[in-house]
Amino acid sequence: MADILDLPRDVAIVAFSQVPSVAQETRTEAQMLVESINGVLEQSGIDRREIGFTVSGSCDYLTGATFTFVQMLEATAAWPPISESHVEADGAWAFYEGWVRLLHGDIDSVLVYASGKSSLGNQQEVMSLWLDPYYLETLGVDMFSYAGLQAQAVLNAGKGKESEWAEIAGRSRRDALSNPNAQVRGEVDPAELLREDYLRGPLRPHACPPVSDSAAAMLITTAEKAAKLGVEPVYVRGIDHRADPHYFGVRDLSVSESARIAGEKAAAKAGFGPGDVDVAELAAMYPHEEQILVDALGLGDGVRLNPSGGALAANPVMVTGLLRIGEAYNAIRSGSARRALAHAQSGPCLQQNLVCLLEGGNG
Amino acid sequence: MAEQQAPVVMMEEIVSLEYTTLATDVGIRFMDCLIEGRIIGHKSKQSGLVYVPPKGYCLMTGSPTTADDEVEVSDHGVVTGFTIIEPIQYPGQEETERYVQAQVLLDGASSALGLCRIQDIPFEEVRAGLRVKAVWRPPEDRQQTIVDSWGGRAISSCIQHWVPSGEPDADPASIAKNMY
Repeated sequence: MADILDLPRDVAIVAFSQVPSVAQETRTEAQMLVESINGVLEQSGIDRREIGFTVSGSCDYLTGATFTFVQMLEATAAWPPISESHVEADGAWAFYEGWVRLLHGDIDSVLVYASGKSSLGNQQEVMSLWLDPYYLETLGVDMFSYAGLQAQAVLNAGKGKESEWAEIAGRSRRDALSNPNAQVRGEVDPAELLREDYLRGPLRPHACPPVSDSAAAMLITTAEKAAKLGVEPVYVRGIDHRADPHYFGVRDLSVSESARIAGEKAAAKAGFGPGDVDVAELAAMYPHEEQILVDALGLGDGVRLNPSGGALAANPVMVTGLLRIGEAYNAIRSGSARRALAHAQSGPCLQQNLVCLLEGGNG
Repeated sequence: MAEQQAPVVMMEEIVSLEYTTLATDVGIRFMDCLIEGRIIGHKSKQSGLVYVPPKGYCLMTGSPTTADDEVEVSDHGVVTGFTIIEPIQYPGQEETERYVQAQVLLDGASSALGLCRIQDIPFEEVRAGLRVKAVWRPPEDRQQTIVDSWGGRAISSCIQHWVPSGEPDADPASIAKNMY
């Protein structure tokens, strides 16, 4: 029997461009996107009028205004009129929609972009109202408190230690030294980090992400279009996303079932699994999230984690996940990986997880 | 034992969020010029379109614009659309009387300014094509304020309102092919 999930065509990433993540950006999101989008147009050589579909990710809660994605659309120079869509989510979900759109078979190229300026508001309050305005916000549970509860669950389950979190934070900052787009970088002694006071027990400041502003764009096409453009494709071999229950009181926070299932489903499409990749870019905003994801996805010692520095080195909310896909693409393009995994998350405490498996053109 | 109380079934929670937007370089420049009594825009080299206020890019071509692309436009223009507003009263409402807000396409600009208040003309005579001119606030009253995408707030902090200039109405064809 034919498997209706067989993908009718190969989809590839052919260009990726980001603006550096910074603590406070003065340019508008549209201005940052002009630079990002023009970057992918230059890399791929595509004429913007050839692009079949445009899809973006951003969030009004971060910007503090309504329908802000409309203003950001100005960066696409949408004339003649274009076909476009927007997700109120990380750009990784816009990427997913673009991938689905290419599988329809009637177009050959999709522009994906995302932007976010977390610096505009108080991120702790914004995330609290955003994640659960009904039960938890009224109790004063802020974003770091959510993470602290999950970190404690990891400690209690014996699946992580504070000293390991300091090691992970140190590794991220060290790796970020070679990433010009990262924000928090440097050589640090993990033992020194452990002397910091708790921010929200058991989390210290080094185990929490920075506030970041950034934007990024990506061009994905069919294999045939990539060949016409004469650019080296990185194939999307498998992608899937799953969600746990929204209210985190009903789940075991020390594990991520949705990440595990998303990894399995993506692997079934790809023909290789998360354990078979050379590089994994995980949207882990906290070290304990990385530990949960490593367990859920079955990433072994042979998998290089977050060579870009990851979300601990730059966390532009709404862009962080798309950056992981972009950095996994960069790892393959630079030759440091043949296969790579990119992960994105959304919701409280790794509630929703997206897993994308990429492979180089010679794979 | 504490006295038995009925369970809480509903509670009121007032929430608010505060945001701080940093002014962009182009926004600061636009505002500084307004305080001097000048209105500037950016003219795209690719399309020739003049954006007021400047955005730092061209919406039609996607190319960035910079201080090199700066041009000054007139404080005379044409009404391209308008709304007569009957203010309803709600907390924070400062308006009590009927008023007109219009989009005004300034001479030399390709994009219309929003939220321009039109005065000194009966409501029933306000029309698209009406020629208007700025009534500037005295220099000492001009205030630095936020430069939003359409420029309305920055404009109204330096320009009190707009009045008919007495020039003949604009030809509709002359206001076509601009950015609204």
